[in-house]
Amino acid sequence: MKKIALAALATTMLTSGAMAETVGVSMALFDDNFLTVLRNGIEEYAGTLEGVEIQIEDAQNDVGKQLNQIQNFIASGVDAIVVNPVDTDATEAMSALADQAGIPLVYVNRQPVNLENLPDNQAFVASNEVDSGTLETKEVCRLLTEAGKTEANILVIMGELSNQAARQRTQDIHDVIATPECSFMKIVDEQTSNWQRTQAADLMTNWLSAGVAFDAVIANNDESAIGAIQAMKAAGVDMASVVVGGVDATQDALAAMQAGDLDVTVFQNAAAQGSGALDAALALARGEAVEREVWVPFELVTPANIGDYLSAN
Amino acid sequence: MAEAATATGTAGAPDKSRRQRPAEFNVFIGLILIALVFEVLGWIFQGQSFLFNFQRLSIMVLQVSIVGIIAVGVTQVIITGGIDLSSGSLVGATAMIAMSLAQVSTHERAVFPALTDLPVIIPVAAGLICGLAAGLVNGALIAYTKIPPFIATLGMMVTARGFSKWYTKGQPISFPTEGFASIGAGMNPVLIFIIVAALFTLILRFTVYGRRTYAIGSNEQAARVSGINVEHHLMLVYAIAGGLAALAGIVLAARGLTAQAGAGVMYELDAIAMAVIGGTSLSGGRGSIIGTTLGMLIFGVIISGFTFLRLDAYYQEMIKGAIIVIAVVLDVYRQRMRGRS
Repeated sequence: MKKIALAALATTMLTSGAMAETVGVSMALFDDNFLTVLRNGIEEYAGTLEGVEIQIEDAQNDVGKQLNQIQNFIASGVDAIVVNPVDTDATEAMSALADQAGIPLVYVNRQPVNLENLPDNQAFVASNEVDSGTLETKEVCRLLTEAGKTEANILVIMGELSNQAARQRTQDIHDVIATPECSFMKIVDEQTSNWQRTQAADLMTNWLSAGVAFDAVIANNDESAIGAIQAMKAAGVDMASVVVGGVDATQDALAAMQAGDLDVTVFQNAAAQGSGALDAALALARGEAVEREVWVPFELVTPANIGDYLSAN
Repeated sequence: MAEAATATGTAGAPDKSRRQRPAEFNVFIGLILIALVFEVLGWIFQGQSFLFNFQRLSIMVLQVSIVGIIAVGVTQVIITGGIDLSSGSLVGATAMIAMSLAQVSTHERAVFPALTDLPVIIPVAAGLICGLAAGLVNGALIAYTKIPPFIATLGMMVTARGFSKWYTKGQPISFPTEGFASIGAGMNPVLIFIIVAALFTLILRFTVYGRRTYAIGSNEQAARVSGINVEHHLMLVYAIAGGLAALAGIVLAARGLTAQAGAGVMYELDAIAMAVIGGTSLSGGRGSIIGTTLGMLIFGVIISGFTFLRLDAYYQEMIKGAIIVIAVVLDVYRQRMRGRS
């Protein structure tokens, strides 16, 4: 055993320059469109790097599974770990595990609860969720102002109620409406569609059947905005008279925008988050300093600049 | 005592006794009561009628009709004394399969660029065949390896969900042909549900298939002794359930104009809840499509009622869960009273 260990050590020292760096990646779940783009971003970026090997695991939305994966990464001696946390409140244990093993850890896309006291060799790469809902609502506010509204009724379609992004984006809507220039907007009702298109369509039809009058629909994500649009069109609502906003800039959303139905969406650069996380992980593995928070900016998408985004996601 | 004996003797068969109302009657009363509660609350809090609104009545049915299609299959499975946990995942998997063969050629990123603009029958057939096949696997596992239906269909649930994620590596599939989209347009999902429900109501009541389904659920041993090929029949029942889940997947994809790997999550539990609220016994031998339809309508009324009253989104699921449990408790209580009298 000793001999083998020594030999291994010698080989490592001799070839350290050319040794492949291994990064373990634990994704919260694979069947999420956005996270898939992010995952592909990591994979494609790794493919362009010499001597970087990645191993991606699916935690299937299970905190326990994710912890096991991290422990397995540590046991197999990876150089760095990238985690897209299943539950942002469960990151303390993950940070501790990696810290004890002395392996750098980078959280991506979802903000860990222990962000303020991450160890030195850990970082967080994401887009600032405060920006997404704010950009979306401000643009809706601008469009309504432009249309000469002095009073505007708003319907809010929230994502999954327990999701941090959904909570933050909803909060952003409230915050923008609280500012003097957008205070003419009033939230009539606020319901959830669980991020789902059909649920949003059903929700909108229920609102329409109750005779709710509204000038704009602000959804936490594009799928929900599209569902609302489908329901409004089915009910014969004039889409020119309603401002609809979403977040994500998915292919379907961009098509809806080109059709003139969706007015606002926000692009979260998933691929850039993926490559950014891998960059941060590799830098930490080489002992370089990395900011604790690396922000990949959100970008506002409107019919004016949609051309830049048609092939982005 | 004589009453009780009759009740067991005719278990499952439509109740012909004049003194006993059919099980569905109570569910119907429940549905009416819940609707009336919303009607009253509507006048108090919203100043308008809940029920006398055609658009609302439409959405009440439309929003539950797709899960309702699944529930028709799940009801038959439960009548045999089994359970099917795979239907929600099969919805996702078959929606992906069907949609991948239903895309328009003008979409630049079609899954199969060579297979676009196909006639609508191809995606529909592909989806249905895959659903039937998955159901057949469920049935064969249960009938021949004797593993509990809960486990067999749990396995299919995980496998099918894995398949739908793998199929496009998690990417959604959108932009279907107009022909495919028309399947889910307007009130077509409701129409499809009505056809499916009516068909299986007749089949369960008037055919050998129906009698065997109830017989196996009431007493599998007795059914076997009386010459029923239980294995073959179970495979058929699960295949039908799989096929109906696939139909639901196709309708869902056509309605939303998109198929997503995460589509149909939790649908299996909603479908089971609809059947159970509708008086289908989880121990088998008892239940009907009419009951399940009423259970489905209760779901529809509740969802619309909550939005109508603008009830805080955070309370809605808690109340929905409570209603499911209360409905079943009342049904069990009623069964006991009947057994005693």
